[in-house]
Amino acid sequence: MALAIDVVKQTGRRPTEHFDPDKLLHSIRAACLSVRSPEGEAEDTAKTVTDAVIIWCTTRSAVTSHDIRRLAAAHLQRYQPEAAYLYQHHRNII
Amino acid sequence: MANFDLLTSFAIIAFAALTHAGFQLSISVLTLLSGHALGRKTAHLRLMRLTGGFIGGAAAMTILLLSFTSFVLLRLLPDSTPLLLWAACTGAVAGVGLSVWLFYWRHEQGTALWIPRAFANYLSGRSKATKNAAETFGLGLTSMTAELLFTFAPILVASLVLIRLSPAYQLLGILLYTAISLLPLLIVGLLIGGGHKLSDIQRWRETNKRFLQFAAGSGLLVLGAFVYVQQVMATAAAALGGR
Repeated sequence: MALAIDVVKQTGRRPTEHFDPDKLLHSIRAACLSVRSPEGEAEDTAKTVTDAVIIWCTTRSAVTSHDIRRLAAAHLQRYQPEAAYLYQHHRNII
Repeated sequence: MANFDLLTSFAIIAFAALTHAGFQLSISVLTLLSGHALGRKTAHLRLMRLTGGFIGGAAAMTILLLSFTSFVLLRLLPDSTPLLLWAACTGAVAGVGLSVWLFYWRHEQGTALWIPRAFANYLSGRSKATKNAAETFGLGLTSMTAELLFTFAPILVASLVLIRLSPAYQLLGILLYTAISLLPLLIVGLLIGGGHKLSDIQRWRETNKRFLQFAAGSGLLVLGAFVYVQQVMATAAAALGGR
């Protein structure tokens, strides 16, 4: 479910959208699975990290997609450093 | 015009293929493709089919590019290769070698390559959207074509050598070139199939990217210099000596 927090996209060319925790949860779970974490562990980590990002976001009316990615990567680093590495750098692979 | 002997011909083809193998776009796309597939909880057999399809596409395009270039050159130059073409070819190889040193990797974190960002985003999007082996085959074809700006140099040298061989050796040369140029893709495919973490593969690539850049650029410069000495200078010296 989308929260009433606007997410400003990275380049500024695409319109802002509401913060969708599910989208974040899926991307973190995918990052964990891509480093071959067990499914349950990936799910737990994704929930924990998403909750931490939601708490940070609720104090703001607008955030950038870069902020969300940076913060999620920082939290993910504590639980799954390998997944955090891929999550942080996946735009710089090609 | 002196032609290379068989051993030298195959050595040049193998070395050209080795420099081709140093180009990394296909490996980057394969890494992303596998990451997205694993993130979707894709079964192991299906993952292998996807990576196999991608490598098959890259192999098919390499064979097509090399065969096409050789065919065109053979039609244009049925009897011998002009000295000027050898000189131009070695100049192009050296130029590409210098370009690799200067431009191949971007000066930022990760393994971002020279290709325009819009096209990188397109390839990234396609690697995410691709869900069956036929699509990954197409992606393999595309990623190999996308690097033609750099790979044309080793392909051109290999083609110029190939066209002076007998048909059976031409076939062998094409297969040798394809096998060697695809070695890094095969290794990454095997590592992914063997259960290695993508983060380990990507981290290794990032750590060693400057070395890979140096090796690929130097390889092209050495290839250009060798062919120049063997073909252009040796022929010119023989012509002068025969006066």
